Amino acid sequence: MKNIFVLAEHRQQKLRDTTWDAIAAGRDLAGKLGADLTALLLGSNIDPLAEQVAKECSKVLAVDDPKLEQFNSDAFIKVLVALLKDRGPYVLLMGSSNSIIDLASGLSASLDAAYAPDCLGFEVQDGKLMALRQMYSYKVNALVSFQNADSVVATLRSGAFSFTPAGRAAGAIEKVPSPIASESLRKRFLKFVEAEKGDVDIASADIIVSLGRGIGDEPDMEMFQALADAMGGVLACSRPIVDKGLLPKYHQVGTSGVEVKPKVYMALGISGAFQHLGGIKGNPLLIAVNKDAKAPIFRVAQYGIVGNLLDVVPALQEKIKELKG
Amino acid sequence: MDIIVCIKWVPDTSEADVVVDKEGRDIKKDDLDYDINDWDRFAIEEAVQIKEKVGGKVTLVSVAPEDAEEMLREGLARGADEAYQLWDDSFEGSDGYAIASILAAFIKARPFNVVLTGTQADDDCAGQLGGMLAAMLGVPGATLVHKISIQDGKAEIIRELEGGLSENLEMDLPAVISVATGLNEPRFVSIRAVRKVAGMEIPVVDREGVGVEESKVGSRGSRTRIEKVFLPPEGEGAEIIQGSAEEAATRLAEILKEKGGIA
Repeated sequence: MKNIFVLAEHRQQKLRDTTWDAIAAGRDLAGKLGADLTALLLGSNIDPLAEQVAKECSKVLAVDDPKLEQFNSDAFIKVLVALLKDRGPYVLLMGSSNSIIDLASGLSASLDAAYAPDCLGFEVQDGKLMALRQMYSYKVNALVSFQNADSVVATLRSGAFSFTPAGRAAGAIEKVPSPIASESLRKRFLKFVEAEKGDVDIASADIIVSLGRGIGDEPDMEMFQALADAMGGVLACSRPIVDKGLLPKYHQVGTSGVEVKPKVYMALGISGAFQHLGGIKGNPLLIAVNKDAKAPIFRVAQYGIVGNLLDVVPALQEKIKELKG
Repeated sequence: MDIIVCIKWVPDTSEADVVVDKEGRDIKKDDLDYDINDWDRFAIEEAVQIKEKVGGKVTLVSVAPEDAEEMLREGLARGADEAYQLWDDSFEGSDGYAIASILAAFIKARPFNVVLTGTQADDDCAGQLGGMLAAMLGVPGATLVHKISIQDGKAEIIRELEGGLSENLEMDLPAVISVATGLNEPRFVSIRAVRKVAGMEIPVVDREGVGVEESKVGSRGSRTRIEKVFLPPEGEGAEIIQGSAEEAATRLAEILKEKGGIA
């Protein structure tokens, strides 16, 4: 692998943090493999963004086309294939975002490359690249190698690679004419849609009682509400609770839901998938109650109870009432 | 409207105790319960709802060994019209790419307007099938879709971005659409519906029947190889409060009071 490429991600004309995740991972891997690092920037009116990227990467390949303003997978795959098809073997690194999820695996197949999604790290053993990722409800780590392909496309777990700004002299920006300038797209962006706002704003709550899949299929929601009330907090949840229609979407904490920054976060029956934890900011006191002692949530919580919610929750509510007098 | 739904048979590890097997390349699966991948249940329901609106046929397909027949039959009870189980000993050890190659070969040989999948599977947590299938079939794809309306040879979709933001897109058909959980409410399967499909044939299609080359399937045709699996290091982790529920609750209430967890 002589070349490492990283894709810069942007939305509404601003670079996203995934860009720096990719550059951090790219620097690390370029060092391990003795390869060159090149950033790819595809967008519309990209000069200001290209300059920002060039401060952190010595070479930037840029394609400017109004069709690339949004991360439209149809447009991005076509352009990236045109850019990369004669530059192999390479590793292409991209952050993990919902825009990139939309294009990454299709891109890997179109490039005839191997694909490693949501990587936590990379190892090189005897010149052989291996990716560390997670499987089985994110409970198991796996070290994955590649075969039957010269190149590799990988996406990166958010927060797994720490970026330190280098801020060196400006890198070289090479502009490449858009290969899709005269093509029509089979997928067209219409508009952004904002989430509906509810009567409870969990984003500003200090105390959150949050419910996950472990509360079961027919939970006693009043029992949980009573605990939240006793604590003076609000009810929030992870995705399965919204999917089951038990709470509206604006109660959902996570990367695709609401970001919260409470002082206390009580996770009840929440396994602790990273998509959920990604929505909890500001390092709150995190308490987990779960019947599965191996639930990943216990690795990030400060206090935990391994037990049945039907026993623990009413007892806790009772004790809090007593303490409040 | 011809709708093909790709579904996966996965071990349920969400609350199970996970143990690495002897070879160290996978987990022990003998004691785990298998079921349809959670995301795929929503894909079946969406397919049946589209059929109910615009008419057409829903075909289920899964690359899965014998035991998975019950999953396909449940899908028929949910309103699908036919189901195919793709299996051949040579499929054993296929990674996501090889599975996509098998499904693409099967789908190419028949008419389709929409291919539906779940965005991600709970076993490999990869989220790769939909995009790969779209590329292999030469049609547009979209993932994390939580609303679909089909009209005039096009699909208008809404897909999830971050922080509650979504994007509204239009796609030409045929297309591969990978759904997010929660885009619909999968229907209750009545005993009557189960009885109705009990006698339906679910053909098992082998490698030659699918029409995929042997070099494309199994570990031979895969592009990734799992070298090692291991449980993540425990780290410091939580202080586990011991005792009965009553005792633990008492201690936790004190901690909450002390640390500002009671307003």
